[in-house]
Amino acid sequence: MNVAEALLVFAGIPLAIVVVLALLTLKPGANRRPRYKPGQAWDHAPIWYEPHPAHAPAAGHGGETHAIGSSVYGERHGSDAAATHAVSAGQPHSGGGSTAHAARPAGPLGGARGTW
Amino acid sequence: MTRALEVDSHDTATATTGAARTDEGGSVDEVFSYRELARLDEALTMSSRETGLRFTLYVGELRKPTRTHAEELHARSGPDASDAVLIAVSPGQRVVEVVTGAGAGRRLPDRACALAVLSMTSSFANGDLVGGVVNGLRQLSDQAGHPASLRH
Repeated sequence: MNVAEALLVFAGIPLAIVVVLALLTLKPGANRRPRYKPGQAWDHAPIWYEPHPAHAPAAGHGGETHAIGSSVYGERHGSDAAATHAVSAGQPHSGGGSTAHAARPAGPLGGARGTW
Repeated sequence: MTRALEVDSHDTATATTGAARTDEGGSVDEVFSYRELARLDEALTMSSRETGLRFTLYVGELRKPTRTHAEELHARSGPDASDAVLIAVSPGQRVVEVVTGAGAGRRLPDRACALAVLSMTSSFANGDLVGGVVNGLRQLSDQAGHPASLRH
């Protein structure tokens, strides 16, 4: 066994194993988004998630169905219907539909607050 | 208006018409992955359907005082704010606010909300935002139960 062979066996093979293991370790997480860690800054735009409406108003019925089970909330018309479908990203707009929403006071508000 | 057409656009947007929703800003899964978004979507939708309340989730910065800002958001969270429940999470400030309207508050007393907030914050402290929200929604909807109109 000359020097070249010795280098190949005792340096090349371990190096190859290390490279293979490193690739197997790093590759699956290469395109993963950074996980949120408590205390780090949150520099994403605000986003507001809403549930799907119970049943989207069916086309062709004119939104006048009153069948039992057709909708928990009743069907919405006009800007309210649009408001139930839109997922508001970013700062919610203050004009338009919000004035209609503000017409009905929510009464005494409850809830809870927590920090971590 | 002799600007060149935007060739990167994925739809028929021209120099004079607005871009499509998908072309605005970042991608949809900028904050959460699609798998996480699906979990959030299912949790929000199923909680709202089972209880008849309207659960919405706000993730982002809250102005100080955060409680006031969360209540402002709650006021415009839907056409019937009385039956709306807003979960506002601000990961940067490490604050979570749950706001219930008057109708929702009758079925979700503050103590139940505090318990859900406690389970949420323990997940958030481990860095699991989506898991915490899903568990909190589960607790809130379990507590609220079914509305009388949905009972058979």
